[in-house]
Amino acid sequence: MPDFSPTQLAVPGFVLLVLAEMIWARYRRPDAYEPKDTLVSLAFGLGSTVAGVLFGGVVLALFLWLCQFRLFDFGEQWWTVWWAWLVAFVLDDLRYYWFHRFAHRVRWFWASHVNHHSSQHYNLSTALRQTWTGFFAAGFLFAAPLVLLGFHPAMLAIVAGFNLIYQFWIHTEAIGRMPRWFEAVMNTPSHHRVHHATNPRYLDRNYAGVFIVWDRMFGTFEPETDEERIRYGIVKQLGSFNLLWAVFHEWIGMLQDVSRAPWRYKLNYLWREPGWTHDGSRETSDAIRARWLAGHEAPPARIAPENPIAGGAEPA
Amino acid sequence: MPIAFPMEMPPPALLQFLGSLAAILVLAGIVRWLGLGAPSRFTNHEEVTVAADEVHHGFAPVATAIDREGRAALARNAIGDVMLLRFHGNKVAGRLVGPGASAALAGERLRIDTGEPRFGAVELEIENASAWMQAIDTIKPAHHA
Repeated sequence: MPDFSPTQLAVPGFVLLVLAEMIWARYRRPDAYEPKDTLVSLAFGLGSTVAGVLFGGVVLALFLWLCQFRLFDFGEQWWTVWWAWLVAFVLDDLRYYWFHRFAHRVRWFWASHVNHHSSQHYNLSTALRQTWTGFFAAGFLFAAPLVLLGFHPAMLAIVAGFNLIYQFWIHTEAIGRMPRWFEAVMNTPSHHRVHHATNPRYLDRNYAGVFIVWDRMFGTFEPETDEERIRYGIVKQLGSFNLLWAVFHEWIGMLQDVSRAPWRYKLNYLWREPGWTHDGSRETSDAIRARWLAGHEAPPARIAPENPIAGGAEPA
Repeated sequence: MPIAFPMEMPPPALLQFLGSLAAILVLAGIVRWLGLGAPSRFTNHEEVTVAADEVHHGFAPVATAIDREGRAALARNAIGDVMLLRFHGNKVAGRLVGPGASAALAGERLRIDTGEPRFGAVELEIENASAWMQAIDTIKPAHHA
């Protein structure tokens, strides 16, 4: 059975590419990096590996147990079935698309995934800004159907690792557009810049991991336009470089909302989209986008009947 | 002959963690050494207007004030909402000033506490600070009802 972690092997490459991008920034875009922001991003990356060590075994054990219910059997030497690797990679990317879409549309998952979007910068260090709390959000359950199909958990872990490696290089402003055929099929820096943008036109678009075709198929694709400057981060920017706040702020905000809400609405604060409130005091990404679509100049409505400063999470 | 260590060696995972920690500190240091991400400042009211719209889409200031240092600014729209903007690194973060915020005036220095601990309080040295203080004072819960 293959026993290696592609992401661990890729770490030296990650470091070299980050260094190369820093040198590019030195001459072309000195604002593309910020020391504290970079430190927070890299600390996120380090912490996420610790979380992986702590909780990865639990997920693996769960999936190995689930294997007994599998529909198809690739045999004892499943790793020798070459085409299963290709099928697993594609299906895992589809799994990633739907996980990622839920991660933006369900606050429970967003509380974990927001970590990755919390930087106002978009560079290769941002790619390493990975969550510490993914295990608690239980996003790994999106892979359960693939285990039940018969793909071995180790195979899924390896193809997911390659998926993550692919996504590293697209977190950059150093690359404009790739050739048209490539942009049509693959996720690219251009497509993923859109995903990290807070401009209303771009909110909750381009969820793809490797193949952008999923967004085209499921109606969430938005091309990058040169008409307006992209702003990165989340709708309500943190305004803080405090690492622990960056890690846990959305969990805290969500639980505060649950505790303050009337009983009949409490669960809604867990499963509805970020920005949803029972009294309409905040905006969801759909509302912001609709306001933008409505003419870019809707009269400035009284903003938030409750205190907008102390308010919790908003969409990004 | 085996080498004797005065104390037990830390496990490889801990060494890997400490090595990685050192590496990320070095990388962040390189960003500083290369002079990347130098602090930015507001230099004109157009920049404040653009930033206010970026913080809250559709926010159209009719009045703005820039701190003497340029690190923070205030914007007010036609119906009296006030937005506080400040630089966070070399990017802008902002908050609408709500009823939970407080403001204090000392000469031309206006101190606004957003009521949000992690965003913090901001001191601005601006013209017409007292007028801005009044604008913030009018933001009461009833005003937002």
